[in-house]
Amino acid sequence: MNPSLLLPRGRIADTATVLARFLIGAVFVYMGLSKALQPVEFLKMVRQYDAVQNPFLLNTIAAGLPWFEVLCGALLLAGIAVRGSALILICMLVPFTWMVLHRALSLHVDIPFCAIKFDCGCGVGEVPICRKLLENAALILMSVWLLAGRGRKLCLRYSLWQRPKRDV
Amino acid sequence: MNGHPHHASSPRPCRLTEFKQVLLEALAVALIGGIIALAANAISPRGLNIARNYFPGSAHGVVTPPPLSPIAGLRQKGLQWIDGSKARLLFKDPRYAQQRVAFIDARNDEEYRHEHIPGAYPFDPYYPTKFLATILPLCQGAEEIVLYCNGGDCEDSQFAALTLRDAGIENKKLFVYVGGITDWTNRGYATEIGERNSGNIVPGVP
Repeated sequence: MNPSLLLPRGRIADTATVLARFLIGAVFVYMGLSKALQPVEFLKMVRQYDAVQNPFLLNTIAAGLPWFEVLCGALLLAGIAVRGSALILICMLVPFTWMVLHRALSLHVDIPFCAIKFDCGCGVGEVPICRKLLENAALILMSVWLLAGRGRKLCLRYSLWQRPKRDV
Repeated sequence: MNGHPHHASSPRPCRLTEFKQVLLEALAVALIGGIIALAANAISPRGLNIARNYFPGSAHGVVTPPPLSPIAGLRQKGLQWIDGSKARLLFKDPRYAQQRVAFIDARNDEEYRHEHIPGAYPFDPYYPTKFLATILPLCQGAEEIVLYCNGGDCEDSQFAALTLRDAGIENKKLFVYVGGITDWTNRGYATEIGERNSGNIVPGVP
């Protein structure tokens, strides 16, 4: 195969990865801020999942998680510690998606699954749960893609442990 | 030659080292991010008090999910409740003008300004310190206190009642208006917009 034909394909993949990084970053900054500015509403949402019963732990999650999401989103937008941030986002998204699914299944009694709507505490109000699960699945896949080491373009500091470039 | 020495490409670090690096990076981000997140909460004017139980009334100080019905929650917390007819009677009671009957709106500032029962005092139970200096003397002097929020699944009026009870107000004076502002407007009663006693009264539509 002619190697020159591979170049545009690689560029397209790089561009797509950078766009995915910007998209995940922007989504997390937006959703984190919308929760951080209404912490009481988010606290009530977290309580509804009945996953945490200790008030101190519940408050810590409701107080810290939104700002933490904003920070991770900002790191991805800036291209700092990309793989570490992507790993953290996966660690947050997977259990959260499972909890949303679990709660939706508990409501799935008389109505079709994709007709179920509730405020999942994601910062966007009441949403159809099928759509939310698909969005989360897409975010997880994109984060895995970043974790795999793709999309190093337009990064301020791709890895925290990278050696600084020296002029020769 | 362009003057730059040729560098042989460095050997690719083994996958285990790379994995450790990513894991360490994630830990560093988690640690620093956690500190920054809690600091941001502490600075934010809407930040939460980590040490407080915002959902009082549960046994053993644990946080339980919302009850299946508001009445069940009221029973569990040992609180009294009233319906819209009784709330209307208390609103029309001459003692209301003398502040021997008090109405307390347990929703947030934004909701209160949008619409509230005329003459009701704002008291957001999630930020009580802002209001207690006004609310406590009022409740100490009142004979009957009606607390309401949005109605339906809303529990904020119950938490407001518990906050007042914990502050020393007698339980027998406290009445949670279960239907809340939604029931009040559905019944066609007048509401007030803006600050308390703003005079901006919206007549109800019966």
